[in-house]
Amino acid sequence: MTTRAVESIAPAATRPRRGRHKARAYAWRYALIAAALIFFSFPAFWITTIAFKSSSEYFRNPPVWIPANPNIAQNLEKVIRTGGLTAIGNSLIVTVSATAIALVVGTLAAYSLARFNTGGNNFAFWILSQRFLPPVSVVFPVFLLFRVLRWVDTFHGLIILYATFSLPFVVWMMRSYIREVPVEVEESAQVDGASRLRTIVSITLPLASPGLIATGIFTFIFNWNEFLFALVLSRTNVITYPVKLTSYFGPESAFWGEAATVSLIATLPVVIATLLMQRYLATGLTLGAVK
Amino acid sequence: MNAPKRIFALSIASAIIATACAVPPAAPPPAAEATRPADPVGKIEGQAEQVAAAAVMTAMPPKPGGSAARAIELAKKYAGVTLNVTWEAGLQSQDPLLFSAPEFERLTGVKINVIETPFTELFSKAVADHQAGGGAYDVLNFAPTWLADLADGGVLEPLDAYIEQHMDKNDLSDLHSTYAKYQQWKGKTFGLWDDGDVFVMYYRRDWFEDAKNKEDFKAKYNRDLAPPKTWQEWDEVCSFFTERGKANNEYGCAIQRTAGNTYLWFYEQFRSNGGRFFDADMKAAINSDIGVKTLTDMVNANKHMPPGIEKWGFVEVLQAWMDGKLGMIITWPPIGRWSEGYGLESKQLEWVPKTKVAGKVGYAVSPGGHSELAVGFMLGVSSNSKNKEAAYAFIQWLTSPEISGQRVKIPFALRDPYRMSHFNDPEYAKLWPNAAEYLKVLQEGAATGLADLGIPGAREYEEALDRAITAAYAGTDPKAALDKAAEEWNAITERIGVESQKAAYEDWQKRLGANAYP
Amino acid sequence: MTLRPHARKGRHSGKYALVAPATMMILCIALFPLLYSVVVSFQNIDVRTPVGTFVGLKNYFDVLRDARFWNALGNTALIMTVCVTAELVLGFILAQTLIGPLPGKRFITPLLILPVVIAPLIVGYTWRMLWDTQYGPISQVLGWIAGRPVEIVWLANPATVWPAIFITEIWQWTPFMFLVLLAGLAAINPEYREAAEIDGASSWQVLRFVTLPLVWPVMAVAILFRALDAFKVFDIVFALTNGGPGTMTETVSLYAYSVGFRNFRISYMAALTLILIAIVSVAITVLWRRMSANQERMA
Repeated sequence: MTTRAVESIAPAATRPRRGRHKARAYAWRYALIAAALIFFSFPAFWITTIAFKSSSEYFRNPPVWIPANPNIAQNLEKVIRTGGLTAIGNSLIVTVSATAIALVVGTLAAYSLARFNTGGNNFAFWILSQRFLPPVSVVFPVFLLFRVLRWVDTFHGLIILYATFSLPFVVWMMRSYIREVPVEVEESAQVDGASRLRTIVSITLPLASPGLIATGIFTFIFNWNEFLFALVLSRTNVITYPVKLTSYFGPESAFWGEAATVSLIATLPVVIATLLMQRYLATGLTLGAVK
Repeated sequence: MNAPKRIFALSIASAIIATACAVPPAAPPPAAEATRPADPVGKIEGQAEQVAAAAVMTAMPPKPGGSAARAIELAKKYAGVTLNVTWEAGLQSQDPLLFSAPEFERLTGVKINVIETPFTELFSKAVADHQAGGGAYDVLNFAPTWLADLADGGVLEPLDAYIEQHMDKNDLSDLHSTYAKYQQWKGKTFGLWDDGDVFVMYYRRDWFEDAKNKEDFKAKYNRDLAPPKTWQEWDEVCSFFTERGKANNEYGCAIQRTAGNTYLWFYEQFRSNGGRFFDADMKAAINSDIGVKTLTDMVNANKHMPPGIEKWGFVEVLQAWMDGKLGMIITWPPIGRWSEGYGLESKQLEWVPKTKVAGKVGYAVSPGGHSELAVGFMLGVSSNSKNKEAAYAFIQWLTSPEISGQRVKIPFALRDPYRMSHFNDPEYAKLWPNAAEYLKVLQEGAATGLADLGIPGAREYEEALDRAITAAYAGTDPKAALDKAAEEWNAITERIGVESQKAAYEDWQKRLGANAYP
Repeated sequence: MTLRPHARKGRHSGKYALVAPATMMILCIALFPLLYSVVVSFQNIDVRTPVGTFVGLKNYFDVLRDARFWNALGNTALIMTVCVTAELVLGFILAQTLIGPLPGKRFITPLLILPVVIAPLIVGYTWRMLWDTQYGPISQVLGWIAGRPVEIVWLANPATVWPAIFITEIWQWTPFMFLVLLAGLAAINPEYREAAEIDGASSWQVLRFVTLPLVWPVMAVAILFRALDAFKVFDIVFALTNGGPGTMTETVSLYAYSVGFRNFRISYMAALTLILIAIVSVAITVLWRRMSANQERMA
């Protein structure tokens, strides 16, 4: 129940009670929020402390909450030596390249869809539908193809794969952002003799730039967090950080400090991006179905 | 050992990589790996020099006419050639990267390009490469249980002609007779043995020698406190220590129980109890009464182990053991060296916890008198190699008594003794106070040990059994769990072909003899 | 690019050139391999049989008779039902709590939504450490409450492994529901509610007859999104249990992965994944109807 409801239901005659009522409503709301905050932030707290613990400290019973000598350097050094930073670097190369390709290719298609409804709704939906297929069923045929092309465990293979499967999102999002740019602005530019491509680049995109940036950051996050494709298609050359993480956990490995440190490093940029992009989050996560 | 080694998949992508790849690793071409500097950086440098120096001291000059010397002569014909060699990524690869490969190149002019590969990929990459026409690899590292699949699939080159022509035959008999049995498939030799992975029971001598413990144990069980010889004794000793020490977080025993490799301990105990994998009609027999009893005992044993043991892997056991919290463990050989602190000062082993049990550790074969020869490693030549003779020369050199004798002594070694000359090496026996006893147990373990089931589809059989065991740990009735696994085993057998599997299984039993079933 | 100024001649010329690169990529990387896998699914390729022969529908029948496949499908359905429901309810409560003016809201909301953007694999591994019997804080805190050591092996005990997976999944995705529903609630014109209140409706009636119907289109989309995502669940379960103990928590994605990439039963995997695609296609079609209806409403 909302405060607004409380306020409007409360009759004017019970004003003093209403104050108490309101305070109690606030108290309830804050109590609930506090519980939620603890629940949703505790794992982040815990993994941070592990990153700052030595192995004899995180393998201790009962668990120690605050490390005696917080020190991330010991874990960081091991992360570097075990190729953890290299993996984050690999992820960066793959993610940035794939995002860039997807943005360029996807925006062009989105423009065509937005302005000319190219291929009709079914075409748009066909592109979108790629996004909802279970990755495990998508990656398998891709694996067969890559095996023939010898693209398994190559940067270009993973980049093209990520770019392709980012397209549905980019096309769908950019289509709606471009639709918001008035056609008249473009038409006046074209009358001036600008080519279609120049119109897109110098007129439409600047006007749609907030949407473009939001789409780009989202694409980055999705690709950054991708695991299954990388797990299947990387061997030794293109180990991304999620694949690296799996080598810290297994029947023969339990390297919590390294895992926590890699997780922390890999999560920070995403968190920062999210805080900057808050406004677009709901839209991005539902492909524009919710604004 | 191998699984732990493998593990270190995680491990140690080596300081070399870290520094050599300080430059963003944009698709390092294979050549970059080939030219990876042999003398790396920082502290590893000292290590490498130390090891290399040791190599020079003992290896030079190699015994004329010996396998190492003949391999060098053979390889010199191929000076300038580069061999692509798969090796398990991480700690395992430190040996070729820092020691074997640079040394071989120095002696012969043949370049060795170590392709670090995660354990399971050693199999699938070799198969995939061969299916696609191949040629990417010259030398293959593989687990012995894969030999059948790799040989049948035509991935491996038969080595008999090369051995006949180039090896000092005395070296064949220097190989422990158990390990020699693995090298053939359908009458041909497909690989050279390169790792004496055998389970060892490590126990805390100080706990067993403690007067109060002895007295209390005798009072309770009416026999002397001693390292267990049967699984029943194991359970009694384990529960005794656990009751005594639980308040201080000390437990009588621990065996890694998490999914993945827990089947190895079933293989061991099952056959010590007299179990057979298949019946005469090639139907799975793991759900026999013996199988059910074995699994039931394993499940019950968990009660005396640390809480959460069902999720413990190698590292958790290692951590608690080195921390002095465990009375007995059964695992791979390197822990024996690490318990005494051997090699722990090397950068490669920095992740291993500091030992609190040095000087307090005793060794024995597993209860039941038979230790699992768990996983292990072999070296072979790819049938698609363009330089098979050079590739063969490299593996003959690596596994020769002289060179392998040094390799098992590298401080960060993960290859474990497997030749008579290793077991009898006076230098090895001096590495720590009771190293001689350690070698004796490894040798006994090899002699009486039990080989993993090595027929086509081995990996699938292992996985199905592993799932059944973890289900039983979680409360599924052991009989029901094993019935399901047996069903899956039969399905695998039928898919591959009942007759051919039967022949393979009979061949495996015949070759391994008492190392298949005691 | 062929988009020269003469494009002006017909303002639509070039529209196909613009979609060509995207279409080509999807065709080559997504669609062509899919068709190829249809061919493979009628053969018998595996690790020992690199060149397959035609076996008809055998692989499809085998999948449909495969108890492990149905087990995995059931597990997946369980995760979908329990988690999506819980996320919806919790997300709605949170959204209701935060709608309307509230001091500090600007700082609270971003903190609540962060789990959504963290890699699911990281979430899985983090919770795996939290659930650890000896070294994790959950057992410890429960021990404080119980006043004695709690030694539950969360991830290897059939009674606790599902709750552990659910809670982890709910932790990551409740914020998604919360965020979307918050947007949905914020878009409702307060006058509707006020009107109902003036008519003397109780707060429950307002919720039931005004708020829910108005927020339903958004909610339906959110449910479909989450359901489709939950159907794909792989990372979190991979990290927490990898389908264990035994196959108790194996999802379809995990099973398919294991068949295809660990055992190399290539043709079997092809048939299995095509069956999955068929199942999902139905759900996608429903989603599509929903989304186009929403778009029309918003347009």
